[in-house]
Amino acid sequence: MKIYTGTGDRGKTSLFSGERVSKASKRIEAYGDLDELNSIIGALIAHLPSDQSDLTVGLQQIQADIFVISAWLATTANSPAVDALEPIEEKQIVFLENVIDRLEDLLPDLKNFILPGGHISAAWAHLARSVCRRTERHTVLVLEESDDDETAEQLKKALIYLNRLSDYLFVLARECNRLHGLSDIPWKRS
Amino acid sequence: MTNGEKDYSAEIIERGRLSKKTFEIKLHRPEAFNFKPGQRIILKYKNFERDYSLASSPDESYLTLCIRYVEGGLLSQAIGDAEIGTRLSFYGPHGYFTFKPSQRPTVLVASGTGIAPFRSMVRSGISPDFLLHGVETTDDLYYSEEFQSAAESYIPCLSQPKNSQTYFRGRVTDYLQMHLPPDSCDFYLCGRSEMIRDVTLLVDELFEGSYIYTETFY
Repeated sequence: MKIYTGTGDRGKTSLFSGERVSKASKRIEAYGDLDELNSIIGALIAHLPSDQSDLTVGLQQIQADIFVISAWLATTANSPAVDALEPIEEKQIVFLENVIDRLEDLLPDLKNFILPGGHISAAWAHLARSVCRRTERHTVLVLEESDDDETAEQLKKALIYLNRLSDYLFVLARECNRLHGLSDIPWKRS
Repeated sequence: MTNGEKDYSAEIIERGRLSKKTFEIKLHRPEAFNFKPGQRIILKYKNFERDYSLASSPDESYLTLCIRYVEGGLLSQAIGDAEIGTRLSFYGPHGYFTFKPSQRPTVLVASGTGIAPFRSMVRSGISPDFLLHGVETTDDLYYSEEFQSAAESYIPCLSQPKNSQTYFRGRVTDYLQMHLPPDSCDFYLCGRSEMIRDVTLLVDELFEGSYIYTETFY
């Protein structure tokens, strides 16, 4: 099958729920952010040390979760297309919380703001974190205009997930530096 | 197992010619295999794999596949030559090209073997307001008798009509442009990517507020 169809050549695309919408609409903006986030996580995985298979497996699970959230963002309220979607599960959020707690135990307490950077893998994790925050902001915009139905309930869960994921990516950036024997770079007033 | 999915094995129980370029096979449906009308399976045979939409209803005891002979296509050739009783393996079902009920008129548009998922829907009791089948000549109008009685408006569109006066002469986009009231509809498009692109762009232009679901075959 060809990868290109040409149906989006004039600036519109189809949602999973069937509507034709502008590629500049809020939903497309939001799941475009998720697409970007997913790609950045891929780059982050590519820079992890090869002995960190737990982190890799966890991040790949997050990449799969991002697909699920994207599908909800591509589905409007009260659509029968909802039947085909996987719900966002509480356990996916709990997984993030558990990893955050585990990594925080390994890391020194933070007393200052830190500059994003350090090892290349930490830099990718910070980039992922900031794109995750943007995704969260754009998801809020979609939710603010949604009818109160199952899709809205799922987007509320997605917001919790994205909020937790941003925190996880922050802690992961610090862990990436620790694994490479680097200290976080504290922010100093100039 | 492929990607953690269960492999099924099924015997070819029947094969029949639909047109010069197309044939159908019926496979015995494994009891544990369920699907929704509009979904597809991935068929595996002699190291080849290919997606095929199911053309039978989920209530039937067999699975019907509608296969186009592809020039140089090794799988279609191999299945076309396989003996009755040959076992094929497959996995699935896959895809989201299923019927979504709504208040808007339903317009199903197929090109060639893209009619397969619509046959499954119609055999499952779904009654579209329009069912357009774009083909070259009347030779390719397989299943037409079945559709004439099942769909409120079954419209074969012949791009190379030769002598046929019975059916619409032109492409599916010509029919939609000329005869479909400019209203919001639910469009289901299946078949060639060029047809899907042309209908989608036409819908954007003429049928504002419509919904589009697509399944691209080739």
